[in-house]
Amino acid sequence: MAPLLAVKDLRTHFFTRAGVVRAVDGVDLAVEKGKTLGIVGESGCGKSVTALSIMRLLPEPPARIVSGSIHFDERELTTLSQRQLEDIRGRQIAMVFQDPMTALNPTLTIGTQLVEVLQRHLGLDKGAARRRAAELLEEVGIPRARERLDDYPHRFSGGMRQRVVIAIAVACEPRLLIADEPTTALDVTVQAQVLDLLDDLQREHRMAMILITHNMGVVAESADDVAVMYAGQIVEQAPAGELFARPEHPYTEALLAALPDLDDPRARGRRLAAIPGRPPDLLDPPQACRFAARCPYAGCADSCPVEPPILRELRPGHWVRSAHPASERQPVPA
Amino acid sequence: MSATQVAGRIAGIEAGAPIRQSSLWQDAWRRYLRNRGALAAGSVFLLIVVGCVVTPIVSPHDPNRIHFTDAYQGPSWAHPFGTDQFGRDLFTRAALGGRISIGIGFGATLAILLIGVVYGAVSGFVGGKLDNALMRFLDALYGLPYLPFAILALAIVGTVTFWTMVVALSVASWFITARVVRAQIITLKENDYVRAAKAVGVRWYMILGRHLLPNTLGVLVITIFLELPGVILGEAFLSFLGLGINPPDASWGSMAQDGRDAYRAHPHIIVIPSLAIATLVLCANFIADGLRDALDPRTKET
Repeated sequence: MAPLLAVKDLRTHFFTRAGVVRAVDGVDLAVEKGKTLGIVGESGCGKSVTALSIMRLLPEPPARIVSGSIHFDERELTTLSQRQLEDIRGRQIAMVFQDPMTALNPTLTIGTQLVEVLQRHLGLDKGAARRRAAELLEEVGIPRARERLDDYPHRFSGGMRQRVVIAIAVACEPRLLIADEPTTALDVTVQAQVLDLLDDLQREHRMAMILITHNMGVVAESADDVAVMYAGQIVEQAPAGELFARPEHPYTEALLAALPDLDDPRARGRRLAAIPGRPPDLLDPPQACRFAARCPYAGCADSCPVEPPILRELRPGHWVRSAHPASERQPVPA
Repeated sequence: MSATQVAGRIAGIEAGAPIRQSSLWQDAWRRYLRNRGALAAGSVFLLIVVGCVVTPIVSPHDPNRIHFTDAYQGPSWAHPFGTDQFGRDLFTRAALGGRISIGIGFGATLAILLIGVVYGAVSGFVGGKLDNALMRFLDALYGLPYLPFAILALAIVGTVTFWTMVVALSVASWFITARVVRAQIITLKENDYVRAAKAVGVRWYMILGRHLLPNTLGVLVITIFLELPGVILGEAFLSFLGLGINPPDASWGSMAQDGRDAYRAHPHIIVIPSLAIATLVLCANFIADGLRDALDPRTKET
């Protein structure tokens, strides 16, 4: 069965005065129907640009998809006109943004903003759209939904607003939901609730989901598959259980090692692990392996700085872009 | 005093009272009412407008009836503003002239707003090459002095009526409004909620009309009262030069022009319309100032 969304060799570059920023440089992704793909990586690694490229929401110029294909449900999104895209956005693919404080228009009631989408895509009349809007609010867990339709966004807390944003996104039952750091701007206690809500909605509506985050815990909880991004490329991709049990890429290992472990008694008083160095400048990325400068296994003897590693399948479904995956390393003499 | 009472005092509400919902406009209105200067200016402005509308209806004098026997009378109970060289009652005529002056003022201001909003909104919203072209065209127009342009426009049309005056005054003075609206739209369209609206497939005209333009309303209301004085002065200036409304209709500018010949012996004929213009312009400026303070959410209440 063909995946719902297949991204192949996507390259999105920003053409700025300072030069070409290779924000996304050869990303391959596949999302199966009804499954969740988690994309993790640190700030500036191209997670959001990938998402916005799929939605074709990046301002062009300065951004441009220079090559690659985005195949969604037997349509090629990279060649569609903005008009055709408008029919897909919200109806087939919807997006939840990071900051619920800015993603709602402060001058319109949330009812207006929900009804707008429902009328746009489903052709409902005003009354039917309002009834459906109230149902949606109820579904995302907003009490007294019918009365709250006429409230302005400033009357809602951050978590409640994110619920409204999610209600708008799922209003027309899209087949793919892209959640770009949906919990980053929220309190920790609210984060779990919002993730649960996304999980529930996904199951009920049988949506596929791309969950973008820099929080390993979030991915572990919700994702079926995980792609780890670094400097505009995917460096490792595997089913979630497999990735956490047997990480292969040195970067993934370092990310997992950086998580504080409260259960480990020895962790007390010890410094948290960090990854030395900084991600490369995407204006002028390294010719070969982009992680080489920070990689503890890259020695002067091997080819890391010269030859770019390719994404290869180490085990079925487990892809790695490194010359030194964990399973191929020689045990280091102590 | 208990803690809840204190908290209530601090929040400006009585403890236990239901929290009143207040919109941006209600807040703005409250802030405007607290500004004494703006409130006084607004009241005077309103008084003048109502006076101009009502006076000709209730006045015992026909504003266009000529009584040479009553010419050049000073202010009296029968004629509060005196009479002009034809013996016409200046109080009634001032109100009639005010109707035309204020009418042309608002007419031209709205025309300026209409052209400016459409031009600026399209330019800012579409962006890119079109924006560049439209703005360079505007730069070229910017060099045109607006009064000579208005004079030229009136000369081409020939007969001066209310509507030709509106066109003449607005045709070369919408540039600033267009720029203001463009700048607003450019700032607003970077907002996340615009991207969010695009992400659910909202059409561009809905984004412009529903998500962007309503957010420029505050600026537009201020712009009305900022443009109004210039337009009213422009109309007065043109009328004073004899390019105004054709007699026997009059505006404040043409009334001042009538008084010019006899200004030494009978100064009230020129002073009264001039004072009216000055008062109206001053009020409009104060109102614009008050509105700006009231609509700017950064203006904190003390």
